[in-house]
Amino acid sequence: MNRLNVLLIDDEPERVQALKEALHSLGHHVVCQLPNTTHLNKRVEDTHPDIVIIDMDSPNRDTLESMSTMSKNNPRPIVFFAEQQNDRKTMSDAINAGVSAYISDGLQPDRVKAIMDTAIAHFDAHSSLRAELEKAKTQLADRKVIERAKGMLMKHQGCDEKQAFETLRKLAMDRGQKLPDVAQSVIDVLELTNGLSK
Amino acid sequence: MSAPLTLEKNNLKLGFVALLDCAPLVVAREKGFFKKHGLNVVLCKESSWASIRDKVSFGLYDGAHMLAPMPLASTLGLNGNKTPMLTALALSQNGTAITLSLEFYTLLSKSIADWKDTSSVGAEFKKQVKNSKVKPVIATVYPYSNHHYLLRYWLEQQGINAETDVQLIAAPPTHMIPSLSNGAIDGYCVGEPWNSLALIQQIGGLLTTGHEIWGAHMEKVLGVTQEWANAHPNSHKALVNALYEACQWAEDSANKEELFQLLALPPYLDQAATQLANYTPPLAMEQHFAGKHVNVPDPKQGEFLLGQMLDCGQLSDTDNPADFATISRTVYRQDLFQKWVS
Repeated sequence: MNRLNVLLIDDEPERVQALKEALHSLGHHVVCQLPNTTHLNKRVEDTHPDIVIIDMDSPNRDTLESMSTMSKNNPRPIVFFAEQQNDRKTMSDAINAGVSAYISDGLQPDRVKAIMDTAIAHFDAHSSLRAELEKAKTQLADRKVIERAKGMLMKHQGCDEKQAFETLRKLAMDRGQKLPDVAQSVIDVLELTNGLSK
Repeated sequence: MSAPLTLEKNNLKLGFVALLDCAPLVVAREKGFFKKHGLNVVLCKESSWASIRDKVSFGLYDGAHMLAPMPLASTLGLNGNKTPMLTALALSQNGTAITLSLEFYTLLSKSIADWKDTSSVGAEFKKQVKNSKVKPVIATVYPYSNHHYLLRYWLEQQGINAETDVQLIAAPPTHMIPSLSNGAIDGYCVGEPWNSLALIQQIGGLLTTGHEIWGAHMEKVLGVTQEWANAHPNSHKALVNALYEACQWAEDSANKEELFQLLALPPYLDQAATQLANYTPPLAMEQHFAGKHVNVPDPKQGEFLLGQMLDCGQLSDTDNPADFATISRTVYRQDLFQKWVS
C-alpha cells in the first residue's frame, strides 16, 4: 500500500483544506498543518513524515534544510526533493507554483511524484484565486486603498501586479497587521519618499 | 575609451533576503546605479535562502544576494539541485555575531572582568555551558552559512562539543528575538540587523563577533549561475559595476541617514531598519560594504569555506582537499572582478 504520511506547512487555510482533501482521496494521511510553527524541529521528529510539503514563501524552509545537517543524531533525515530527482520539469513547475517538498531519505521518488503533481495543481489554482478571495473578503473602501498601494508599489519597484500584491501580503504577515492598514502605510511612506526626492 | 557594450539583457530580476547587507542592491536601485549601467532591475524579497538558491538555479532570477558559501554549496550539489554557480563580486564583509539571552549573558558577566580578553570569555562561557543543568540551546538560520561555520568553529576553539555540550537548532531570523526573550533559546549566531536589534531592545548581550573569530571575511556575494554568466557577459559586467559603485556609496558614512531611509522602505527591511537609524553598532562588528579587499571574491576564502564544510561533515571524507583550490577558483572569480572593476 502506498499510503504515506504527509506533513503540510502552509498558512493559507483555503489551500490547506483543498490540498488535504485531495491527498486523502489519493489514500495518503495528512499528518498536520502548522501555520507559523515555532517548534518545527520537534514536530518533524514527532510526526515522522514521509514527505513535507511547504509553501516556498515560508521562512521555515531553511529550518527544514538545517535539520538534516545540523545534528548528526537526527533519527530520520529528510532531503530536499530535488536531491533525489532528475526530473527538472517537475522541479521547475513546483518552483513556479510556489511549492517545495522534502522527502524522507530512501523513499522511492516515484511514490512522491503523484503527490507533487497534486500539490502543484492546487498551488497553481490557488494563486489565480488568491486576489479574488482577498477581494471577496474586503470592503469596497479597503479595496480601493489596496489597489492604490499596489499601483504605487508597481511604479516604485518596477514590478508586476502579482509581485506588488505579494509584497503587501508579506508585509501584513511580517507586521501582524491587516492588509488595508499595511496598504495605507505603504501609500503614506511612498508619497513622502516621492515628495522628498523628486 | 572603448565603445559601450551591448547588453545581452537589460531587464533583470534579483533576489534578496531582508538583512542589512542587502544594502548594495537597494542602493543600486534607489540611487540609480543600475540605470546608469543600462539595467532595469526588479528586486524580489525572499523569506529563505533555500528559495533564493532554487529561484536562481532554475532561472526565475538572474542573480541574487547570497551567503558567501552558497555558490560553492550549489556548485558541489551539497543541497538542492546541483547547479554550478559563481560570484564576481563580494557585497559585504563581516557583520555576523553571537548574541546571548539576557539571562545567560548576565550570569556570564559576573565572571568576566574584561570582555576584550577573548580567551577568558571563551573559558568562562565553557564553564557556564558545562555547569548548565539543561544543554544550552543555540540557534542559527541556515546550514551552508558563515553563521553556522563560525559558531561551530568558535565552540570547538573553546573545547565545547557542538554535538553533546550544546543543542544546535535552526530557526528563521524573524523568530530569533522572540525566542531569545521567551527563553526558548539561550543564544544565536546570525547576521545584522538581528544582533543590533537584540541589543537595542535590551533582550540580549553580545558574546563575540564573526570578525573577532575569523578576522575579516566575505559575508554576502552576488551569486549567478555559471550558465547565466556565460550567456550574459556584458550584462554581468554592468551588474557588477553598478553594485560595486553602490557598495562605495553604502560604505560612505556621509550617506548613513539616507541609507537607513532607503532600507526602511516597505519592500526592503521595513520597520527593522527604522530602529537602526540612530544606532551605532558595536565596533567589533566591523561590517563593511567597501574598502581594501572587501569586494574581492577571493578563492583563498573559498578554500577556507571548503575546509569548514569538511569539518562539520557537509563534505564526505572521500572528497579530495587537493581539488579545493581548483573548485574554489571556478566559483570565486577574482579574475572577473579584477578585469571589470578598475
